[in-house]
Amino acid sequence: MGVIGKLFYYKKKGNLKRLKKWEGELNKCIRCGYCYELCPLFKSQNWESDTPRGKLMLIYGMISGEIEPNQQIVEKLFQCFYCKNCSDNCSAGVPVTDILTDARADLIEAGFDVEGTIVNINEDLCSVCGVCVPVCKYDALSIEKVGKDENKIVVDKIECRGCGLCVAACPSGAISQKEGCEVTLPELHKKVTDLLKENKDMKAIVFCCNWSLFPGMQLSESPTLVKTNYGLIVSMCSGRVAPELVLNAIEEGAWGVMVAGCPPEECDHDGNYKTRRRLVLLRNMLKELNIEPERIKLDWFSTKESAKLTKSIDDFVKKLEKLGPIKKMEESKKIGG
Amino acid sequence: MKIDIEKLKKIVGEKNLSDNLADLYVYGADASVHQALPTVIVKPKTIEDVQKIVRYANQNKIPVIARGAGSGTSGHTVPIDGGIILDMKRMNHIIEINPEDMLVRVEPGVVDDDLNRALKPLGLFYPPAPASSRIATIGGEIAANASGVRSVKYGATRDYVMAMKVVLANGKLVNLGSNTRVHSSGYQLERLIVGSEGTLGIVVEATMGIRPIPKYRCLAVANFDKLEDAGNAISDIISSGAEPSMLELMDKIGIIAVNKAMDLNLPEVAAIIMFEADGNVKKAVDFEIEKMKKICEKHNGTGIEMSYDLAERTRLFSGRKKLFASLSRYKEGIICTDLADDMGVPNSKIAVTAKKIHEIAERNNVIMAVYGHCGSGVIHTKIMLDPKKKSQWKDAEKVIEELYDYVHSIGGVTSAEHGIGLSKAPPWKKARSDILPVMRSIKKALDPNNILNPHKLHDAPDDWVGATNLRYKVG
Repeated sequence: MGVIGKLFYYKKKGNLKRLKKWEGELNKCIRCGYCYELCPLFKSQNWESDTPRGKLMLIYGMISGEIEPNQQIVEKLFQCFYCKNCSDNCSAGVPVTDILTDARADLIEAGFDVEGTIVNINEDLCSVCGVCVPVCKYDALSIEKVGKDENKIVVDKIECRGCGLCVAACPSGAISQKEGCEVTLPELHKKVTDLLKENKDMKAIVFCCNWSLFPGMQLSESPTLVKTNYGLIVSMCSGRVAPELVLNAIEEGAWGVMVAGCPPEECDHDGNYKTRRRLVLLRNMLKELNIEPERIKLDWFSTKESAKLTKSIDDFVKKLEKLGPIKKMEESKKIGG
Repeated sequence: MKIDIEKLKKIVGEKNLSDNLADLYVYGADASVHQALPTVIVKPKTIEDVQKIVRYANQNKIPVIARGAGSGTSGHTVPIDGGIILDMKRMNHIIEINPEDMLVRVEPGVVDDDLNRALKPLGLFYPPAPASSRIATIGGEIAANASGVRSVKYGATRDYVMAMKVVLANGKLVNLGSNTRVHSSGYQLERLIVGSEGTLGIVVEATMGIRPIPKYRCLAVANFDKLEDAGNAISDIISSGAEPSMLELMDKIGIIAVNKAMDLNLPEVAAIIMFEADGNVKKAVDFEIEKMKKICEKHNGTGIEMSYDLAERTRLFSGRKKLFASLSRYKEGIICTDLADDMGVPNSKIAVTAKKIHEIAERNNVIMAVYGHCGSGVIHTKIMLDPKKKSQWKDAEKVIEELYDYVHSIGGVTSAEHGIGLSKAPPWKKARSDILPVMRSIKKALDPNNILNPHKLHDAPDDWVGATNLRYKVG
């Protein structure tokens, strides 16, 4: 049986004890690859090793001893936003994200330290105010005593889901994520800028939460780009839409900004409540600047409610067309800048 | 294997090449039982990129394996000799949609469902759609001559290929076929490429026919207490002249598996048939459905439900759509392997083949579900076994040999729509020994250095279990 020979075997680094119990489940993965379609990370990276199937293959290779974990393999395994589209839709019922969490625990125990999609704290900027700690539903952030009178924020790399809510909440801009997965503030900002530059008729920027939208992954490029008068940006959670992103969009020429999130009680991160509070404040700010507050809209959508989403966007764009472009740009620029 | 990585980087750019183990390990596998390591993965964007890479590989006799979604079930893209994996997913432009000539022009990495998403607003569709259409690329579908649930009426990929641009093993670009519905102008070379599994050339652009979406679709489901009755009903439907747009079978093993995996609560009868009719005149659709319903009833089909409503049709079909992966949930300790997965049999042999499959499986200590697009003669099975036991792989070998001997003896084919690759090569080679020299001559003429997906199809090893590493940890 040609099992041994072409690939090499190695003495395992660490004993990967948590992962071993998943061997049966990993065998149940038939590697059909249907999970690609649902993976936001694959869409941004376009490497099969970033798909749920690819990650399960790497884990299987590690526990079977065919491949030795190295920095690149581990980096792949720490890149996941835990949207669970893969697990929820796998008809072989493979609990992809549970397996991934155990992989992270085992690999950290084996001495690996990578960035992945995990948040990173810049200790020079962090004032240890603790605002971020209650923001995280997964208790991935905590305040730890490091000296007699010194504290610091610590990230639990196993629990961090990479949703970016704490990044949006941090008042000192001390929390960040690695560039390259289309979730950092500069990357999201660039998307706004590019959309507005590409299409001068663009009226609205719509931020859609990955979960509420359920990304029907369009992996191919159409011949005639249907020019819509709105631009859609998928963020990992509506709570990730920082106030500056909304204001930057308005500053750069959008007539309005809509945020689409999961309905109350349905958000995996409780980020929608934060968004609701945030957008109330932003609307009040627009009012102060004599800009119509209805130029900022918030709406809720459950998974697969794409028809409702389309209608809500259409209604919003119609409203913006009635309102016309923003007249008080000078004032808004002061805030946005 | 020595490959000039820097040279390849210059062609596709640094970020579109990888030789790190994380990528090599993943790109060395597909949905089959096989696994091997490539030397490097490159992602071309243009035809010129492909030409340069292939030219370099040919000069240096390096294997080149074109890869779409990697959803193949028989190891087609598993790099048995290492070499360059050409990940075609970056060539993903739908170049032209031409409703006047009823054709589309696409790059090979375009995903089937994406193409249909683009066509839908125009009232058009690209029919062959295999079950993997959500990720499967048009290039991959051409390589395997893929078909799907609606092929019983609309045909397979080969029926839609009109023209294509192909990069040959020497790096030269050729234009095959035409933009006309028919042509009688020499060898139908575009047809030769269909089903060639990447061994004759790299498809870099394809012109495919499209069809209007019918106004009405009606789906019906019938239950049977005997698998044989269901098989006979299918054969009768086809020979009656009825025109189903879908005619699917699912046996009890499949039903139990989807019930377990998806909580569908389907009746656990011996078999279910799903039949659909479509068209632009409702009365004509009603007529076809009624005709098929009567044949089902004649063969003791009961509990027949039918619907025109999209949501209801989706509900009725959901179990079939996700059956493949659900089979892994059939029984604890048993998993679903992609072996003996898509034989084709003549229409009159559906019932006897279905019965034979269960009999062979039972005799050899494995479980096999019987399902598939039986209206077009496609019987999908999977061998379900305990992958850790060495003896089970011996059982699987025996099943494959016995089963294909039977299928070939009744005039069937080894593969109806997934292709031969590695795991189906031994029984196929045994059955088609007469044509192997012809195929080898064609291969030699087009690829004298044997660089394009070498050691597949006619040149695949005779021992499929030992051909590569198995993806499972055995023992």
